Amino acid sequence: MQFFQTPHIDFVARRKIAYVISASLLIIGIGSLFIPGRPNYGIDFKGGTSIVLRFEKTITAGKIRDALSTIGLGSSEIKRFGTKNEFLIYVEQQKGTSASDMAEKVEGAITKTLPDDSYEIRKVDTVGPKIGEELRKAAVLAVLIALLLILIYIGWRFEFVFAVGAIIALFHDVMITFGIFSILNFEISLKEIAAFLTIVGYSLNDTIVVYDRIRENLKVMRSESLATIINTSINQSLSRTIITSMTTFFVVFVLFLFGGEVIHGFAFAMCVGIIVGTYSSIFVASALVLDWQTRHGDKEHLRMAHKKK
Amino acid sequence: MQRKNLFKTILIVFLLCWAIYALWPSYKLNTLTPEKRKMLDDEGKLIPLIDKSIRLGLDLQGGMYLTYELDLPVLVEQLARVKDKQLTEVLSETEQELNAGSEDFMALLMNNMEKRNIPLSQYWGEHGDTEKEIKEWIEKEAKDAMNRSLEILRNRIDQFGVSEPIIQKIGARRILIELPGISDPDQAKALIGKTALLEFKMLKDPLVFSDVINKIDKALAREKGSIIPEETEETKAVKDTSQKAAEQQPSQDKAIGVSELFGDEEITTDEQEKSDTSLIVDENVFKENPFLALLRDLRQYGKEVSVPVENVKAVDRILAREDIQKLIPPDAQFRWSSETIKVGDREYRELFLVKKEAELTGKYLTDAKVTISQDVQNTGLPEVNFKLDRQGTRIFSRVTGANIEKRLAIILDDRVYMAPRIQTKIPNGSGRITGMKNMDEAKMMAIVLRAGALPAPVQIVEERTVGPSLGQDSINRSKWSALISMCIVMLFMIVYYRMAGAIADLALIFNLVFLLAVLAQFRFTLTLPGIAGIVLTIGMAVDANVLVFERIREELRTGKTVRTSIDAGYARAFKTILDANVTTLMTALVLYQFGTGPIRGFAITLAIGIVVSMFTALVLTRYVFDTITARRTLTKLSI
Repeated sequence: MQFFQTPHIDFVARRKIAYVISASLLIIGIGSLFIPGRPNYGIDFKGGTSIVLRFEKTITAGKIRDALSTIGLGSSEIKRFGTKNEFLIYVEQQKGTSASDMAEKVEGAITKTLPDDSYEIRKVDTVGPKIGEELRKAAVLAVLIALLLILIYIGWRFEFVFAVGAIIALFHDVMITFGIFSILNFEISLKEIAAFLTIVGYSLNDTIVVYDRIRENLKVMRSESLATIINTSINQSLSRTIITSMTTFFVVFVLFLFGGEVIHGFAFAMCVGIIVGTYSSIFVASALVLDWQTRHGDKEHLRMAHKKK
Repeated sequence: MQRKNLFKTILIVFLLCWAIYALWPSYKLNTLTPEKRKMLDDEGKLIPLIDKSIRLGLDLQGGMYLTYELDLPVLVEQLARVKDKQLTEVLSETEQELNAGSEDFMALLMNNMEKRNIPLSQYWGEHGDTEKEIKEWIEKEAKDAMNRSLEILRNRIDQFGVSEPIIQKIGARRILIELPGISDPDQAKALIGKTALLEFKMLKDPLVFSDVINKIDKALAREKGSIIPEETEETKAVKDTSQKAAEQQPSQDKAIGVSELFGDEEITTDEQEKSDTSLIVDENVFKENPFLALLRDLRQYGKEVSVPVENVKAVDRILAREDIQKLIPPDAQFRWSSETIKVGDREYRELFLVKKEAELTGKYLTDAKVTISQDVQNTGLPEVNFKLDRQGTRIFSRVTGANIEKRLAIILDDRVYMAPRIQTKIPNGSGRITGMKNMDEAKMMAIVLRAGALPAPVQIVEERTVGPSLGQDSINRSKWSALISMCIVMLFMIVYYRMAGAIADLALIFNLVFLLAVLAQFRFTLTLPGIAGIVLTIGMAVDANVLVFERIREELRTGKTVRTSIDAGYARAFKTILDANVTTLMTALVLYQFGTGPIRGFAITLAIGIVVSMFTALVLTRYVFDTITARRTLTKLSI
């Protein structure tokens, strides 16, 4: 079976349309960051206490809210977590109460106010405000270090212009995924950051396969223009790009459907990231190389550079 | 070709044997029936089996993850020769800066001292020490304190009995603790987080105590002169069943609004999660003696000055006021009892005035054991018997000898457990502590006393607890996800690449087996994101094969023979596979570096998955292709 015999789609000619699409997605995504309360940082980054309780009988969020109001907490948030009897209760850390006492306070209030509703504690997360701050810094640092390492590696294995194209494409992927999280008001915690980094790795994987083809074709298709070479390379690797993206998408989608509440956000980020990453390695990463090169150099330069490698 | 294949055969067979060997304990553990499991446990064979199986992270098997921070400001304050207001100020400012995200405590402290033009030598070090020497000395003390804390926490946890705990130092002032499969998180926290500073302090004379109360009363009455409680609608009278106990005359207890005592300031008086915003005061006394009105005399119940728990916070607040602090003798301090007592339908906490200077501390303790009291008074209640070392015995003997008929408070972490009247000199260096709620608390106390006191308090800055049921759910769910993903991907590969797809599927199965075997062999921790990483690997592992197959198809299209097409396909795809995987590997390493627990688990499975998938794609599938084509010359390849 084969999806494409030998495709001849002119991706390069359509790159301007792709740029417009990418730019609008980026602008909407980044713009949404300015809505108050976005991006919706999870407990890892904002600190506080979150408790997941599973009640034996059906119960409403309102009843839990009433129970909590008896102890006068700061801002709190109650939402369903997975199955219908499971709730996640988030409370801000209060001044003067040690971080880990908040959970006990909440449990105490519920046990006392709702003595008939027995529950089981599924999960408790308490993050001090300072830790939240540190984790946020660490996450940003991690993404930056990853990008830097990639820049160096690709710069070494290919040409500097490829490295720039790849980094911009990766940044594009992460920012769009981040923007989609922000628009949908999905929570961003450590696991989602891990997903973003994985998207970086994945999308890069795709991009490199195309770059590799370009590098190879620069040597064989001596008489062709850079645009043709790039377009041919994208077409030649298209089949592989689509198939790998499909299988990977299958698995993360399965994870999204059946993986449970705990990794829901992670799986969702991966689903989005794979689509965006695949798109960017077809339409953005190589097109950037072309535009940069037509402005700053020529094909010969690239060819010469790659002869050595 | 033949010899190369022989080598590969040996390699693959060897790896397969190793994988089965590495995975065998995990397989056995997971297929145990509950009865069999119990049997093995009784024979003591379960733990070794678990030790050889894939190690599950806290998020899968349930447990607790705690990060403690050593309170350096308190430690430095303790080290100071003099403790005055100025020092408190400097330290609290330093602490605020520390909490705002700055890292280096010592640098901040030095900076704040310099700003105020105070030399370190004013508080620390010995006469003649240079500033630099003092700084180094404090740093050394802080480092020592960290190491001692680590050791003490390790001791406590060991005695608590947790399998495979992780206790490690993070940075200059944090300790990370992982306690897998813990059943009672609150108890564990109580045990670990206790400073466990045991002190023996003499009680101040009751006359001094009542004198202090009088002074505070006068001060408060002057200030609140105008406030007289009136019967309003919100101030509902509360009948106090213990009223006979209070003073000589019957007291008229009633609930008053907090603002009556504190003006408009907002305070919470609730202790033990009571949302009660009113205080219990003795109406007859309130006008003249606003402070005394918060207290009760429970002498006929064997207690002295006691405070209804509703009032505890208010009393604390009054006592913390600067002007009130001045009324307390400089060598004395107030301390609460550890337990509350119930009289009628009200609970009380006893208030003690003790000497600041401790006669003896837990430093001299050599042993602590829990026994059941044989006392007439406490029969059947648990008590902790302790033994002092030689020096401690000498001090204890002297103190008890010199203070017969006086009361000695035994204080653990600023809570008075008991304050017995000394009957006779105690020369043998042993004693007992009562006042524990139950057997568990007594056991905990014995453990912390044996392990010793922390040099400074520790605070929880991060805590994550996963209940065992959620862990099991996560395992089940991700198992299913992995299985479904496997089926989809394998089916797709067969449909799309036919026989070659089947070979890739075989590689995929090997991939999974090897990945798990590496996890088991090297005792990496499998977490929930780790399983997500495995699932992701399933999707991405076929990539290397897809790259090769697409290349082979291209070569076949150009009319090359099967044999040469396969060779060329592998040769050409190799560089691409390498470049693509190295970059993913790099992101995995970065993730490992920056992540904690669960995220690290993900980075690990992702990294192993990548390496293993490269092996299976480049060596294993190649081997299968070679074996097939070696026997007969194929004219057509099912790809």
